[in-house]
Amino acid sequence: MAEQDLVNLTIDGRPVSVPPGTLIWAAAKKLGIEVPIYCYHPKMEPLGACRMCFVAVEKMPKLATACTTVVSEGMVVRTDTPQVKKGRQGTLEFLLINHPLDCPICDKGGECDLQDFTLRHGPGASRFDLNKRHYQKPIPVSENILLDRERCISCQRCVRFCQAVAQENGLIMDQRGFRTEVAVDPDAPFDSIFSGNVVEMCPVGALTAKSFRFVSRPWELRKTPSVCGNCSVGCNVRVDVRVDKVQRQYSRTNDAIDDGWLCDRGRWDFAAVNSAERLHTPLVRRNGLLLPTSWEDALALVASRLRAVAQREGPGAIGGIGSTHTTNEEAYLFQKLLRAGLGTNNIDHHHGSFPASAHDTLPWVWTDSIAGLEQASHIVLLGADPYHRQPIVDLRIRNAIRAGAHVYILSPEANRLDRLAAGVLRYQAGQTATVARALLDIVLTERLTRDAYADNRHAPTPSPSPAGRREHGEAAGSPLAGGGELERVADAGVDVDALRALARELASAKGAVLLYDEMATLEPGGETLAADVLELALVTDNYGRPGAGCGPLFDDNNSLGARDMGLLPDLLPGYRPVGDAAARAALARAWNADLPAEAGVGYDEMLSAGVKALYVMGANPVRHMTPEQVVHLGAVDFLVVQDMFLTETAQRADVVLPAVAYAEKDGTFTNTERCVQVVRQAMQPLPGARADWEILLGVARALELDWSYAAPAQILAEIARTVPHYAGASRRALGAQGARWPLTPGPRDAEGRATLVGSPYLDWHMLEHGLARGAGPSRKLAFTRGRGE
Amino acid sequence: MAETVERLVTNETPLPLGAYPKLVTRDMDVAGIDQIEVYRAHGGYAALAKALGQFQPDDLVEEVKRSGLRGRGGAGFATGLKWSFLPKESARPRYLCVNCDESEPGTFKDRMIMELNPHLLVEGTIIAAYATKVHHAFLYIRGELPFAMRQVERAVREARAAGLIGSDILGSGFDLEITVSRGAGAYICGEESALMESLEGKRGYPRLKPPFPAVVGLYGGPTVINNTETIATLPRIVELGAETYAAYGTEKSKGTRIYCLSGHVNRPGNYELPLGTPLRTLIEDFGGGVRGGKRLKAVIPGGSSTPFLTTEHLDVPLDYEAVLAAGSMLGSGGVIVLDEDTCIVGAVLRMTEFYRDESCGKCTPCREGTFWLVQLLERLEEGHGRESDLDLLNDICDNIAGKSFCPLGDAATSCIVSSIKLFRDEYLHHVRAHACLVGPKASRTDATLEKLAHHG
Repeated sequence: MAEQDLVNLTIDGRPVSVPPGTLIWAAAKKLGIEVPIYCYHPKMEPLGACRMCFVAVEKMPKLATACTTVVSEGMVVRTDTPQVKKGRQGTLEFLLINHPLDCPICDKGGECDLQDFTLRHGPGASRFDLNKRHYQKPIPVSENILLDRERCISCQRCVRFCQAVAQENGLIMDQRGFRTEVAVDPDAPFDSIFSGNVVEMCPVGALTAKSFRFVSRPWELRKTPSVCGNCSVGCNVRVDVRVDKVQRQYSRTNDAIDDGWLCDRGRWDFAAVNSAERLHTPLVRRNGLLLPTSWEDALALVASRLRAVAQREGPGAIGGIGSTHTTNEEAYLFQKLLRAGLGTNNIDHHHGSFPASAHDTLPWVWTDSIAGLEQASHIVLLGADPYHRQPIVDLRIRNAIRAGAHVYILSPEANRLDRLAAGVLRYQAGQTATVARALLDIVLTERLTRDAYADNRHAPTPSPSPAGRREHGEAAGSPLAGGGELERVADAGVDVDALRALARELASAKGAVLLYDEMATLEPGGETLAADVLELALVTDNYGRPGAGCGPLFDDNNSLGARDMGLLPDLLPGYRPVGDAAARAALARAWNADLPAEAGVGYDEMLSAGVKALYVMGANPVRHMTPEQVVHLGAVDFLVVQDMFLTETAQRADVVLPAVAYAEKDGTFTNTERCVQVVRQAMQPLPGARADWEILLGVARALELDWSYAAPAQILAEIARTVPHYAGASRRALGAQGARWPLTPGPRDAEGRATLVGSPYLDWHMLEHGLARGAGPSRKLAFTRGRGE
Repeated sequence: MAETVERLVTNETPLPLGAYPKLVTRDMDVAGIDQIEVYRAHGGYAALAKALGQFQPDDLVEEVKRSGLRGRGGAGFATGLKWSFLPKESARPRYLCVNCDESEPGTFKDRMIMELNPHLLVEGTIIAAYATKVHHAFLYIRGELPFAMRQVERAVREARAAGLIGSDILGSGFDLEITVSRGAGAYICGEESALMESLEGKRGYPRLKPPFPAVVGLYGGPTVINNTETIATLPRIVELGAETYAAYGTEKSKGTRIYCLSGHVNRPGNYELPLGTPLRTLIEDFGGGVRGGKRLKAVIPGGSSTPFLTTEHLDVPLDYEAVLAAGSMLGSGGVIVLDEDTCIVGAVLRMTEFYRDESCGKCTPCREGTFWLVQLLERLEEGHGRESDLDLLNDICDNIAGKSFCPLGDAATSCIVSSIKLFRDEYLHHVRAHACLVGPKASRTDATLEKLAHHG
């Protein structure tokens, strides 16, 4: 903001300049002046109820509340006058008259705003010598949360969160006056997946987590900033550890990703880390039994058996299934081990094997961002259920709804967001791709394409499927090749008129974001989904600006990272086809090894018949396999599994190598909107277990490869050198809140557009800006794929 | 079938006080005035016809400004000026709310208007809506007044049937819908923004201001909100003309208002008097003096939220400025008279209990402070108090007044602070004698005193 647009004021005699509309509280914060607050929460509308944040403003007859008073030019604010002190002391004295003062047994004690502000702003003693109000000690308000009404100061943060942020209406204010209490809405149980946020927001010990009850004093916790290891949103967490157990996760507020919220899974679902079932020694199969052995023994065995299979059957007989949970560094090392160390491209990850895989097109990425959702006028969910699968994206969508966005839910099943949606379209399971295609068909048939696209319609379609491939010059105005989409969706139970209405809305939307679930692409016929949605976004000009775009919602914390790092049979790290000699040569130089030029076999094929030796890291394919595949898996010569638990797959392994959880190691994750974030070791690893990167390093050394990584940071440095869209990545560059790839914009091309360093496979300009507005008729809709144009 | 109202308004004076005009209460005691035919036969809705036929809305606002009419709900804000705060243009519809949530202890004038002459309220509402260019008005009626609710609903029905509500009223092209809504018995809902929250179906909490209702009010639209009596005065202003109305009252407090006289007087009731009429005239001439020939002890001039006055204030003119100068407020016009045998501590305790129970609980000072005040006053009233409790009461009041979210907090402190100032000795008597100075608990047996002394 330009300097002249700022508002200038003084607080306690110190000048400060802030944007118009800033609250005195925030202006004081900027100066490092603490104005105590209870009811105010920076992520919610001011309430002005607790009367704690009194300040004196010159020319105002009464004390002002800093959380509700907006700054004005020349304002003179004081936070240190006797009147202010008396006002705050008065409020604190009031708050404490009915407070039980049971700090010694309160879970909040030590991180309680009531304690802290009483110490810093309150009276030393109370003049109240009468009878306090009493309630039954904690009562459950949900499965996970307890309410101690005696401790409550009625700040309404929890109630406002439920009503305004989560919009789930679980908690309400009940009774009135001094009998006021927080209560569960009799008509709406407090069962939201966002419920745990009220525990973190509660400024006192009124709302506490059952899982943390009497577990630890806050000052005994070791607090490490990290990233949630659960779903693909990548919420920023603080991992709180005591005696080598994760006790809880709190938000550490990344406005761009989580907006300061966590879902209950992220907050409380870390039982796996603390589990007594964890593996803590390598296991080797002897006489049919998995028996403990030393790391040295196990690693040597893995190396010798893999080498034996390679020598006997050729490197193509070896395959590896990597993980969507391990770090980028580990995924990178895994494919490097297989490609450079063992000479095979038989590499994939769970859900990794997309039919008509990504080598034909732009990687399936979210072209916009999570924060961009709040700028969208329309949000379309295709076969996606973010409430259950990517909850904090769902919460962001709720924010967008509050800001006026129209949300359309196209899904076979009821969705928790339905209630708030502008439109809901139901169809039979497995038909997401058909519905998306029908939507595209309507747009093309009814000529709903918009100008920016019309200029470029000679460009090739990004659709990877032959059925959809066509020149738009011919296709505009005519139905999609193959046709019959509308009949098919009508058969699938879709209200075609509603679909038509939606298509028209998209074509005139200020900005629409279209999101599909990763899993919907795996449905039979789903192979066209990603490309069709991308095309839909392009032809309706919902692309390339905040609040307009499309992309997948992935499953796991590092689903995208696994793909970025090349856990794919046909793509090297950075989405470069294995057949690209130049890309292969560059990696071969960096890795000092020859790389196979033929694409490998994918997930399903590996499990069906493709390999003699299988290396599984952090995946449990047996749980998802067909009976035939299970039979085959029993027949492979050698199966090695790296995992935290003796999974169904590990139970069938020849060697099991115990791994550690995200909280026990350093590294990076890449979330569903391309944000690469640093994960930090929050606790000592389980004795006997090792981080996946360490295990891979051990295997490489046993294979006599010249690997010498001392820490994940060194692996990241190599990734930054060898994976184009991660160029510039380092722990320092990623900082506390990560950075979205491509991390370094490349040099400008002839038309002045930024390109991605060294990668013709990702047109970064396309990704970030979509069609260049006014770029001229020669501008091609280019998903450059290295095949020339 | 209409419910007939046989009750007479006690606006009769034993004195030849022909100079006292009846404007708002003029037809209150006309039998059947609550029915539209009778109301019309007495000139009802003529003012509406005049307003619609002879005034442009903006001219009507000017007319009301000239009349000097000030809000009768308590704050006494100039009505015409308030209306002129509405923005000329707005994206959202604008609304009129009529505050019929009369809940102030000691106040019962709006109830009388609603129960006896509901058409006067309806006519005023249509006039106000026309002046403020509003096409949807809401009457929010106190939940405890079911009869008033039925009367107003019936009047609205009759007026609608007569073409006075709906589209193209009296051929003027002006459209108006009126919705009658009933509260659920919360004092806070008489506060204008809490009333709007309640109308919207939410919990009755006062809203943050700014934005003020004139800018963002009901359902987010610009909203004008007026008290029942204020609205019911409008037909007379239109009928008589602003100048005639403004000739009553004082320079700054023009016109007449209804005083609700209650407490220890011989003839309690509603009396419409020109503003500026001395308190003594109301109590002695209209109210017939203190009941039982006793001496007057204290008067609350404007509902329980206003500070006490005493015998020395009997000659204070009842207008906004003079009562303020005397240390109290004209408020809602609820004049409560206490005689010499009233224990002031007991009376204050009773009133403070009301504020404790009616605090909405939103803000800390009002929610917790009233809870504490009641306990302290109980202790004093029961003879267990300490002298230091008086300073403590005053300091708690200081921590509430001006610091609470809405004026209810301030209101709760008025009777305490003023009574300690005016009747300190009586409080001290409670501390020292462990008994009331006057009233049924004034005499205690020696045994009781001894017992109290041990505990006190």
